[in-house]
Amino acid sequence: MMKTNLAKFVRHVHDTQDTEISCSVCLDLVSQYVDLEISTGDATIQLPLVKQHLDQCLVCSEEYQVLHQLAVLEAEQRLPTDEELMNQLKK
Amino acid sequence: MDKPRSNQEWFEALSNQDVQQGEALEEIRRLLLRAALYTLVTHLSDLQEMSEEERLALAEECAQEALMAVLARLGDFRGDSKFTTWAYKFGVNIALSRARRWRWKQVSLDDLADDDGTLNWFQRDERFQTADSEQPVRQKEVVEVIREVLRTQLTPRQRQTLKLIAFDDVPMDVVVQRLDSNRNAVYKLLHDARLKIKQQLVRRGYDLAEVMDLFQ
Repeated sequence: MMKTNLAKFVRHVHDTQDTEISCSVCLDLVSQYVDLEISTGDATIQLPLVKQHLDQCLVCSEEYQVLHQLAVLEAEQRLPTDEELMNQLKK
Repeated sequence: MDKPRSNQEWFEALSNQDVQQGEALEEIRRLLLRAALYTLVTHLSDLQEMSEEERLALAEECAQEALMAVLARLGDFRGDSKFTTWAYKFGVNIALSRARRWRWKQVSLDDLADDDGTLNWFQRDERFQTADSEQPVRQKEVVEVIREVLRTQLTPRQRQTLKLIAFDDVPMDVVVQRLDSNRNAVYKLLHDARLKIKQQLVRRGYDLAEVMDLFQ
């Protein structure tokens, strides 16, 4: 079921912590978070404040998701070529 | 295929002003272009009104801007991730910010201003209809508490920012741009607002887990 904005907001209020990291700190740590996820799977345990921020901040979360995809594709040597990406970008 | 550079090799090659730096700069620029292209491809819906040439030019601009960020922040690299993951995040961050701003550039946020004072925007899509007859009553009670905090304890700027981002789905980057602010400041506005509402609910004896369940 699609959650309403009020339902999402109430969840965010519930999950609010007295102290949360800023978007800058999240950006600083997100590459470590992504690589920990890929290598050990315990990023949430090692960097819980990053996870908390990503759950609250949509723009940082979207960036994390793309970065995660890129890192996985690179690790698996499946990154598309520039030409492939340029063709997709023209669609 | 060449062996990928280690973190140390990246750092040294980009730090030293010699022939290796030129090669490393070209290599990281190429990787950042790929990251920017990939990022924009994942968000094509933001670029619907943009021509093919403009999209490619945007990717090049993002890659160049990301390269500048990588070089400016090179001293911050601690080696706790792969160098490429660390570098890609600048490309992703810049490309997504630019894409969001492009999508919203024609939209006036003035049209979304909270100028009627009713604060109805934060519950406009709620129906309060469930099988449990007690639940709608409890939901309305909670909504009234939130409405009161919004009205009496938040600044107009906090209220407006909260409305735009949490209820009108305006991306934070767009709000940041229109307020001539920065992400950290806007995030703090939202955090302070959430915290005040949470504290008021707790002070009035609400169990936050139960409150959340009421709306899920």
